[in-house]
Amino acid sequence: MPEGDFPLHALTQRPMAMYHSWGSQNAWLRQIHGVNPLFVSGEIWAEHGFAEGDWAILTSAHGEIRVPVARMDALNGKTVWTWNAIGKRKGAWALSPEAPEANRGFLLNHLIHELLPPRGDGLRWANSDPVTGQAAWYDLRVRIRKAPPGGPDHAEPDFAPIASPVPPAPGTVRHGGRTS
Amino acid sequence: MTALPPPSAKKLGLVIDLDTCVGCHACVVSCKEWNSQSPLGAPLADLDAYGAAPEGTFLNRVHSFEVTREAGPPVVVHFPKSCLHCEDAPCVTVCPTGASYKRAEDGIVLVNEDICIGCGLCAWACPYGAREMDGAERVMKKCTLCVDRIYNETLPEPDRVPACVKSCPAGARHFGDLGDEDSAVSRLVAEREGFALMPDQGTKPVNRYLPPRPRDALPEFDVLAPYLEPVTEGAGGFLGWLDRTLGKI
Repeated sequence: MPEGDFPLHALTQRPMAMYHSWGSQNAWLRQIHGVNPLFVSGEIWAEHGFAEGDWAILTSAHGEIRVPVARMDALNGKTVWTWNAIGKRKGAWALSPEAPEANRGFLLNHLIHELLPPRGDGLRWANSDPVTGQAAWYDLRVRIRKAPPGGPDHAEPDFAPIASPVPPAPGTVRHGGRTS
Repeated sequence: MTALPPPSAKKLGLVIDLDTCVGCHACVVSCKEWNSQSPLGAPLADLDAYGAAPEGTFLNRVHSFEVTREAGPPVVVHFPKSCLHCEDAPCVTVCPTGASYKRAEDGIVLVNEDICIGCGLCAWACPYGAREMDGAERVMKKCTLCVDRIYNETLPEPDRVPACVKSCPAGARHFGDLGDEDSAVSRLVAEREGFALMPDQGTKPVNRYLPPRPRDALPEFDVLAPYLEPVTEGAGGFLGWLDRTLGKI
């Protein structure tokens, strides 16, 4: 793949809080990591003239997403990254449709095809490690540009809500303790 | 207004290592888990728990900062913050009911929720922002130093430390008697030049923080680079075949 077309590496990291907690996506963890901007190196930030509150279009060989950006200097100059597993489709996890995860949250999945590009041999190979079958996340190369002003205040793609298999979540949670 | 006891010889507190804290929040979550199930007080509530702006009570939070420096690459510092169990605790003296108090025997600052009226004066008085009003119970919540663990004889002895200390996977949190110069925590503070947070506030906090160690500097030349040059034409035998085959797909 020509480096000029996709000069940056895009990574994700699962928030450590998710590994160390008793529960998973619960009322506490979403207060610790409830939004996930795309962290952009100072070098990329300056090159594209980003300002706080801006949105960017991130493009790979496979697709395009529109996401909020944040500057991070403690980062390799040619790398962008975000927290994985924060973005949720509306209706998922019994979250309110207004939840930040379902609006400003996003995933890099839309940039990654499950198959490698065709090689003319009539076969399509899985985009995964040939030995373990693990998805090859760290192979993702992208390019970035500033999103045109006036776009919606939510990440794209933005899908219609899915029906929740569980009843709406309670407003106030008082986990454990004495019952009142 | 509530009086402080005479200074205690025993000063229980935490020593938090800003060098090894990786910001994983295990201490935040385990603190909330333990203290929500404690018979000492109401659970720590979460308002709008699954909505647009969730807001819950935490006794311990981690703030992460990025520091850009004149010399050397930028660094990220994770700063866990909870009650510092101050010797001159302004949150105690400001309390109109005696609900906020400091224990004479070990210096732990606690809230008696049964007589707390939720006026919030103690949270205003605390210069560290270490107290949080519970949104559902309307009483003041704060770090208890897990007083229901550290003296709890129903727990195995190694577990008689605060939940945050027990759960830290980086070993960045230490618990002990900072009034005893020979305790492990006091020795650690002396060795690593541990410091008190905002001493100018005059509250004499007991907890100490250990500063990040200086980062390694890059050498003028890369001493390892010569060793990274390919030294063979490639593996032979079965491994060589496997490598070539996998390289083709």
